[in-house]
Amino acid sequence: MLEDRISYFKALLHEHTELRAQVNTKRRVTLLNGNLVNNMRSNESGVSARVYKGGVYGFASSAEYTDEKIKAVLAAAEENAKFMDSRVKKNKPMFPTVGTGKKELLHTVRDVEQKVFIDFAKDLDEYITKKYPNLASRTVTVYTDSMEKLLVVSDGFDSHSLMPRSYIYLFLTANTNDGSTVELFKPIGGFGYFDENFSNPDALYEDIDQLYSDLMKKAEGVYCDAGYKDVVMHPNLAGILAHEAVGHTVEADLVLGGSVAAHNLGKQVASELVTMVDFAHTALGETAPLPVYVDDEGTPAEDAVLIKDGILTGYMNNRETAQHFGMKPQGNARAYLFSDEPLIRMRNTAILPGKDKLEDMIAAIDDGYYLTDTNNGQADTTGEFMFGVCMGYEIKNGKLGRAIRDTTISGVAFEMLKTVDMLSDDMVWLSSGFCGKKQPMPVGMGGPAVKCKVNIGGR
Amino acid sequence: MITNKEIAAYTLDALKKAGADHAQCIVSTDKVDEFNVDGGEFSLLRTLFNSSIVMKALKDGKKGVISANKLDKESIDKAVQECIAAAESSVSDEAESIAPKIKNGDFVSGVMTPDKEKLFDRLQEYLADLKTDYPKIILEQLISKYIHSECVFMNTNGVEYTYTYGNYDISTMFSAHEGEKSSSFNGYYAKFDSLDKKLMDIGMQRTLYAESEKQIDTRPINGKFVGKVIITPACLAEILAIAFGNFISDPTIIDGTSPWKSMLGKQVASDKLSIYTKPLDERVVCGERFTGEGFMSENMEIIKDGVLKNFILSNYGSRKTGFPRALNLSQNLFVDPGDISLNDMIKNVERGIILNRFSGGQPGTNGDFSGVAKNSFLIENGEITNALSETMISGNLASMLKNIIGISSETVCDGLTVLPYILFDGITISGK
Repeated sequence: MLEDRISYFKALLHEHTELRAQVNTKRRVTLLNGNLVNNMRSNESGVSARVYKGGVYGFASSAEYTDEKIKAVLAAAEENAKFMDSRVKKNKPMFPTVGTGKKELLHTVRDVEQKVFIDFAKDLDEYITKKYPNLASRTVTVYTDSMEKLLVVSDGFDSHSLMPRSYIYLFLTANTNDGSTVELFKPIGGFGYFDENFSNPDALYEDIDQLYSDLMKKAEGVYCDAGYKDVVMHPNLAGILAHEAVGHTVEADLVLGGSVAAHNLGKQVASELVTMVDFAHTALGETAPLPVYVDDEGTPAEDAVLIKDGILTGYMNNRETAQHFGMKPQGNARAYLFSDEPLIRMRNTAILPGKDKLEDMIAAIDDGYYLTDTNNGQADTTGEFMFGVCMGYEIKNGKLGRAIRDTTISGVAFEMLKTVDMLSDDMVWLSSGFCGKKQPMPVGMGGPAVKCKVNIGGR
Repeated sequence: MITNKEIAAYTLDALKKAGADHAQCIVSTDKVDEFNVDGGEFSLLRTLFNSSIVMKALKDGKKGVISANKLDKESIDKAVQECIAAAESSVSDEAESIAPKIKNGDFVSGVMTPDKEKLFDRLQEYLADLKTDYPKIILEQLISKYIHSECVFMNTNGVEYTYTYGNYDISTMFSAHEGEKSSSFNGYYAKFDSLDKKLMDIGMQRTLYAESEKQIDTRPINGKFVGKVIITPACLAEILAIAFGNFISDPTIIDGTSPWKSMLGKQVASDKLSIYTKPLDERVVCGERFTGEGFMSENMEIIKDGVLKNFILSNYGSRKTGFPRALNLSQNLFVDPGDISLNDMIKNVERGIILNRFSGGQPGTNGDFSGVAKNSFLIENGEITNALSETMISGNLASMLKNIIGISSETVCDGLTVLPYILFDGITISGK
C-alpha cells in the first residue's frame, strides 16, 4: 500500500493545486499454442502536482517519491503554471468550491504471485488442446492491473482509492473450408484481484465451449450484404454504442473542440426510449463495474445524466469546463498514471434497459442482422461512429439464420439513436478494455439489446 | 549507483547472483517538457522526470520479465527477486535467448539543448498561422514536446549499447466548422529536430487542414460499387502496419495462421511495390539504434518489387520458426515512390475515392477488412467531386496489395516514415 507522504504538504497547497501519489501495476501471462510468449510484471509509481493559475495549468511529476521530490514537483508545477500564465494571460477566475472532505480506501491493496496466473492459463490451455485439437491456433492471456491513488487537493475532497481489475482473454482461430481462417475472442472478468474473480479453471470450461461453438458457426459464416440495415444489437454492443457513439461527443473538452453535441443540448437526439447515464459508483442499486468516488481534481463523483427520454441533457465535465458551461462538475476528471494530468473521462456509461424481450426484437425484423460481439470502436466529432463486429447472425423473416463473418457497422449517433424502437429489459456490463484518449483509461460500459438501423460493411 | 550504466551492471549482477543463467537489462531516464493546447487555446505545460528499467532473466530456459520505474537499490533488489520468481514459475522454451555480443556501440542523435521558449514561440506562431490560413479549423488538441532520453542496454553476454537523443514532436487533432456543420476529426503526428522552420510546414499538415475545410459539406455514396481507392501517406502507414501485424509478425508466423507464412521469396504484392524499414535513414528523426532484444538496428527490405523479402520477427519468433529475425523494430516504413503524379493518378480514376483516414474494425488474420472512409473524397471521371460521409469500404488486405494501379512520385516525410500515395483497385465502396 502507498505510504502517505503527501498529506503533510496539504497546508502548503494554494490556488487550485492537486498533489497525487500513485502506483499502477500490470501482470500479463500469454500462452500462444502452449508457448509462454509473455510473462511480465510491471510496476509504475511516483508523485505529481498540478497547479491552476488564471486559466492555465502547470504540471510536474517524478518517479521518486520522497519528501524532497514532492517539494520539487510542487515547485516545478508552480513554475510551469507561472510560465504559461505570464505568456498566455487568460485571466480566468478560480473554480467554485466542490466542498471538502476525505474518502478513505474501500478495498485492501495486495498482490498475486505470477505462478497463480501461469498455472491457471496452463490449465485452460490444456483443456482447449485436449477437447479441440483441430483449432488452427489458441491464445490464453491472463491480464490484471490496478491503480492505487492518494490525492490531496487545496480545495476539494482528498481521497485514497484503488481500482484492481482482472481478466482472462480467450482467443481461438479456426480454419475454414475456403482455405482461410476466422477468429473469435472472449474477455472474462471484472473489478477485483485475480483470485477474487477466478477460483477454479473448471468454471471457465463452459465459456470455452461456447466460444468454440460460436467459432465453428462463424467458420461456416457468410459475408454481410453491405448497406443500411435493420439490426438487433446484443447487450454486448450496447455499452460500446453508449461509449463511442454518444459518450465521447458529450465530453466537455471535445464539445469545446467542436463536437456535434455543442449544438444539441436540450434537443431531441434519440428516440424517447433512450436514457443514458454515466454512473459514478452505483448503478441501478448495485456497485458499478469500475466505481469512482472522488475524481483526480478532488470532486466528489456523482452520476451524469447525458440523455433523458431522448433529450440531450448534459455533458461530462472537469472543474474548468463545468465553470465554462455553467454546469456542476460530477467527478469525470481522471488520470491514468502518476505522470498523467486528469482528463475528462467516462466512468460507467450505459443505456438504461427498456421493456422488450430479445426474441420479440428479433421476430420484428424481416431482413437484417443480430450482432452479438464487438472488438473495437471509434467515434467522431460529427457523431459518426463505427465499431467492429466479430460475431453475429442473419435475421430472415423474424428468425436467426446463418452466422456472419467479421464486419463493421457505422452510423451518425444522433440520427441512428432516433431509429431505436425497441430495448430489451435486461442489460450487460463490460469493463475489460481501455478507452483511448491522450491517455488510456479503464472504463465500464453497459446496456440492453437495441433494435435500430445502421450501415453495415460487407461484400 | 549514479549512472544508467552502473544501474544496469548492478542489475545484471544481482540477477546472476539470484540464479539467472542469462539476463538482460534496459535502463532509461528522460526529461520531457510538453505544451498542450485544448480547444485552440494553450492549457498546460508539463514537465516529467521519467525513469524505467526492464529486466529479463532466463533460468533453465524459462523467462521472467519485470518492468518498473524505480532505480534505487532497494527497488531493484526487490524487482530482481520478482523477476527470478516469475522465471521459475514459467515454461521452459528453447527459443528463449539473449543476444550474442557482436559489436557494442554508443550513439547520440538529435538536439541536446532544447529551447523551451522558442518552442512556445513556434507554437504561438502555429496557432496564429492556423487562424489566418485555415480559419474554419478548430484545434481540438495540440500536444508538442521536447524529450531528452538516455538509454542503456546491457546483457550477460557482454552486449552494451548506450543511446542519448533529443527531439521535438507535434501531435494534433482537429476538425473544420461552419455554423453547426463540421468535418470529421483528423489528426497528425510528426517528429522534428530543429525549430528553424515553421511547425505548420512540417509533413502534410497544410494539405490535411485545407482538405478538412473542404469536408464540411459531405454527401454519402448511393448504393454500392467496386472501385479504386487512393490511400494517402497519412493513412497508408496505418494500413501497412495492420497488414504486417496480421501477415508477417510473431503471433501469426509462430502459430502458422498467416496467409503469407510460406510466401518468403515469393510474389505477395504488385511488382510496383517496394517497402522497407529504415530507422537509420537520415530523414528519420532519432530513429532507434538497437532493438529491445539487444541487436544493433539496421535498415531492412520487407517487400522488393512485390516479392516478400523478410518477415518482421523478433529474435524469439525467429528461433521459434527458423526464419530470420527483423533487423529493427519495424517502426520506420519507407515505400519507394512511383512514376505518376498524384494529379495524374486522380485523372485515371473513373469512379473511386481518396481515403485519408480509415476507421474500421480490427481486420482478421486472413486480411478481410471493413470500415468507414473518413476525411475522404469521391472521384468521378478523373475529378474530385465531393467530400464523403457515411461511406464504408471493405476488401482484403492481401488481395489489395496485389491490386496496385499506381504509386505517386510525391512522397511525404513526417520524421518517422517516408510514404507516397498509392492507388488500389477492387475495393467495395458502399453508402446508404
